[in-house]
Amino acid sequence: MTKIASDLETLMQQALEGDKHAYAELLRETAHFLRPFLRQKLQADSEVDDLLQEILLSIHKVRHTYDGMRPYKPWAFAIAKYRLLDYLRNHYADRLHSAIDMSVLENALQDNVTEYRISYESISGEVSKLPEKQALIIRMMHQEGYTAKEVAEKIGMTESAVKVAAHRAYKTLKHQLEE
Amino acid sequence: MDNIEQLIKTLSNDTAKIQPAPHPYLLSLKWAVATVAYLSLLLVIFGLRPDFLQAIENPWFVVEILALFSIFVATLVTTSLLAFPDIHQKRAIAFAPILMVSMFLVVIFFAWNADHPPASLPDHTYECTLCIILASLLPAVWTFYSLRKLASVHYRLAGGLALLSATSIGALWLRLYEVNDSIIHVVEWHYLPMFVIGLIGLWLGEIVLKW
Repeated sequence: MTKIASDLETLMQQALEGDKHAYAELLRETAHFLRPFLRQKLQADSEVDDLLQEILLSIHKVRHTYDGMRPYKPWAFAIAKYRLLDYLRNHYADRLHSAIDMSVLENALQDNVTEYRISYESISGEVSKLPEKQALIIRMMHQEGYTAKEVAEKIGMTESAVKVAAHRAYKTLKHQLEE
Repeated sequence: MDNIEQLIKTLSNDTAKIQPAPHPYLLSLKWAVATVAYLSLLLVIFGLRPDFLQAIENPWFVVEILALFSIFVATLVTTSLLAFPDIHQKRAIAFAPILMVSMFLVVIFFAWNADHPPASLPDHTYECTLCIILASLLPAVWTFYSLRKLASVHYRLAGGLALLSATSIGALWLRLYEVNDSIIHVVEWHYLPMFVIGLIGLWLGEIVLKW
């Protein structure tokens, strides 16, 4: 363990001197010891990979703040934790941003979303302009006649998520048709 | 995994010899020398308070100046440590400003009690705060500019301490320039705004120093 740690400092010293091989080795070692740490904090492997790339980029960007004279790992972990917190903050902010008001949801759930007053054919042009998933849901419910529950089963979403997506699509369509 | 390997190859091909940032102590010494030179310049331009020799006969005035200077030094050193992601692995030293600010508050408490009967309040009020802000602008901008070249992961704290350091030098200059012995005025229009500006630095740090 001590040998690896001292190797990391040496590798960084060599990297700061412009040694490309030492730098590549150092980044590999860094990715190797950071990966388990990130796996403990994040669920999906794709998230771990994305964040690991961001951390390596950050290490590259601020490598001048390391002089090779003090332990390398605390420095690398400080950057990793900083990027992890930033990632989690953005992740939850996005989720909060895309969350919908419960009152809207309650209204939507009361609606019979499979009942339509105008024919699908008359608005198919507008439907095609919707986001892919919303268009698919509208098409399945109004052209092919599936219920929200059946659509949910077929496309692997929850029933309430299908209803919410349908509700959003209706709002968009209503807005487009009123213009 | 392939993406990581690809990134490592790109980054390692992109590397060249790089000069590491100076040690934080050296960095803070550089900042301190520049700021003290700036303070001296201000004192040369505006002059010392005419009753300076008389003022330094008051031990509480001298202790107050020393305590203020110690805040400046402690905040400067901590700011330079905070400029490094790992606080240069000197976490304990980074708490120095807490000690110095506590000492300063104790000094102010005793100076307040010693101001008996209270010295007469000067006519001016917020002008002192404005002078401190103006005098602190240059050191503040310079410190923030230097901090941006490094990589603070405690950007709010670094911003707050950088502004506190800059305003402490402004307050120090005004204390040495202005003929005023009212501790009430000094607390109200010099030191309280100094700490409030330090708090504003927490917000400014997030805007300027986040990377």
